[in-house]
Amino acid sequence: MTSHPAHEPAPEMAVTVRGLRKSYGDRVVVDDLDLDVPAGRVVGLIGANGAGKTTTVECLQGLRRPDAGEIRVLGLDPRRDAQALRRVVGSQLQSSALPDRLRVGEAVRLFAETGARDPDELLERFGLAGKRRTPFAGMSGGEQQRLFLVLALLNRPRLVILDELTQGLDPAARREVWASVAQLREEGTTVLLVTHELAEAEALCDHVVAMRDGRVLDAGSPAALVARHASGATTTFTGPPGAVDVLRTLPGVRRATAADGLVRVEGDRASIAHVGAWLVARAPEAGGVPADLTVDVPDLESALLSLLESPDPAPDPPTLTGVAP
Amino acid sequence: MSTAATRVPSVTRRLVVTELRLLLREPMTLTFVFVFPVVTMLIIGGAFGTEPDEVFPVNPSQWYVAAYLATVIGSTGLVMVPVHLAAYRERGVLRRFAAAGFPRWSFAAAQLVVGAVTCLLGIGALLLVAEPVYGVPAVEDLPRTLAGVGAGMLLFLALGTLLGSLLPSARAAQAVGLMLFVPSFLLGGGGPPPEAMSETLSSISEWTPLSLVTDSIRDPWLGLGDGTSDLLVVCVLAVVALAASARRTSL
Repeated sequence: MTSHPAHEPAPEMAVTVRGLRKSYGDRVVVDDLDLDVPAGRVVGLIGANGAGKTTTVECLQGLRRPDAGEIRVLGLDPRRDAQALRRVVGSQLQSSALPDRLRVGEAVRLFAETGARDPDELLERFGLAGKRRTPFAGMSGGEQQRLFLVLALLNRPRLVILDELTQGLDPAARREVWASVAQLREEGTTVLLVTHELAEAEALCDHVVAMRDGRVLDAGSPAALVARHASGATTTFTGPPGAVDVLRTLPGVRRATAADGLVRVEGDRASIAHVGAWLVARAPEAGGVPADLTVDVPDLESALLSLLESPDPAPDPPTLTGVAP
Repeated sequence: MSTAATRVPSVTRRLVVTELRLLLREPMTLTFVFVFPVVTMLIIGGAFGTEPDEVFPVNPSQWYVAAYLATVIGSTGLVMVPVHLAAYRERGVLRRFAAAGFPRWSFAAAQLVVGAVTCLLGIGALLLVAEPVYGVPAVEDLPRTLAGVGAGMLLFLALGTLLGSLLPSARAAQAVGLMLFVPSFLLGGGGPPPEAMSETLSSISEWTPLSLVTDSIRDPWLGLGDGTSDLLVVCVLAVVALAASARRTSL
C-alpha cells in the first residue's frame, strides 16, 4: 500500500476496506480486497463483467454480508450500523426498481427524510419536473435512472454510491448526469462510481480502481493508469518513405514505418510534439502539413485492456486511491 | 412539494400510506380480495336455501355469510400478500428500499398493516352485499367473534409474509398461494358443508388452518359454540407463523 510522506497528513477516508472476501457457493467473487476511498473525491471502480465491483459496493452498502474482512464506511460498520449509515449514504443500484404504479412525486415523498433537499429543484435538475404524476412503469429507462439519481441525492448524503450510473441514458442525458456528478464533487460529496463506461470514469473520476476476479489490479488517477499501462502514442500521415529515417531519431519515438505512402510513428506521448514540430518545419517544402494527420493517444480503455490482459495482478497493488500517483 | 426542514412521518408510516395508495391501483388484487369472496358467497349462499336442516344448524345463507369472512382473510394472506412481496423482491424493489435505509422489518410491518386494512375492507364489502341479499345474522358473542377475526388475520398475514419471503418469484408465489388457497377455501368453509363431505375429507377439513379460523369466527357469531378451542389453536399457529415470518424478515 502506498505510504504518505511524513509531513503530509493522510487524507480522510470515506471508505476503508481490508481483506474483503465474498463467495457465492464455490465461486469467489471478491478475493482479499483492499480499498480506500478518500473523502470528497470521485472514485471509480472499473473492470470487466464479473470483476466483483457490484458485490463490493453491495457489501459497502450493507446489502450483502462479507465472508471475511473489515469495512468502514464514514467510520461505520455497514452491517452493525446499517440504519445510521444509510442516512448518510445515497445509493443508486445497478438492478432495482420501484413499484410499477408508484408515481414520481410519491416516490420522492416516500424516500425524503427530514432535512431533505428541495425535491422540486432536484426533479427540475434531472428533467423530471413534468413527470411528477407519471408512474414508474410509464417512464423510459433513462427517466427511471434519473429518478434513482434524484432519490440517491435527496437526503444530502455524504457518500453517494452510483452503480452503472448512465446505463440506458441517451448522450444528452448522460452529459447532464455527468455534470451533476461534477457538481457533487464541488460540493464536497464523496462519490463511488461503478462503471463499465471508461469514458465516464475518465471524465468524472479523480481516481480509478481497476478490478479483475475480485481483486484490485491497480489504482490511481486515470492519467496515472494510462501512463503506467498504455503510455504509447501513434501518429500517422501521408509522407515519403524516406522520412522514417529522420523520424526514428526524434526524442520519444520508438518505431517509425512506412507502407503504401502512409507513415506511422509510434512512441511515448512526448513523441507527438516532436513529430508535429518536424512536420511543421518541413511544411514549406512539402506544401503544408499533411491533411490526413491523425494522432491516437491511449485512453483509460487502452490502459484497462492492457491491465486485464496482463497475466497476474501485481503482488501488492497500490490501493490508497487518494494518494497513488 | 418541498420537504426541506419539514418533519416527515416515520418510514413505516410512509410505507403504509404508500402501499395503501398502491393497493387501490391494483385491479387484480382488488378483484381477488374484494370481488371473488362476494361473488362466491352470493352463489354458494343461495344454493342451499334459507331453512336450517340436518346439515345446516342455522339459515345456510347466513352460515356462509359468517364463513366467508375467513375466505377474505385467506385470500388476502395466501394470495395477495405473498404475490406482492415476492414480486417486490424479484424486481429489486425491496433492495431499493433497503439501500435507502428502510429497515427490513418496516416493509414486513407495512405489509401486515396493509393486509389487515385490506381484510377489514373486504369484510366490510362482503357484509354490505350480504345484508340486502341474505341478511347479516346478529352476532351472539361479539368479543370472541372479533378475537377470531383478529387471530385469523394475524395467522394468515404472517403466513403470507413468510411465503412471500421464501418464494423466489411472483409467479411461484401465485402458484403456491393458489394451490394452498383453493383447497383451503373448498374444505375450510367456502365450499360444501363438512356433513356433505366424505369422512376423510371432513376429517382433513377440520384441521386446515382456514377451517379453524372459520370456526373460531362462525361459532361464536352464530351461537353454535364459543369457538375457544379453535381460537386457541389459531392463536398458537399465529404466534408460530409470526415468529417464523419475523425471523425470515429480520423483524
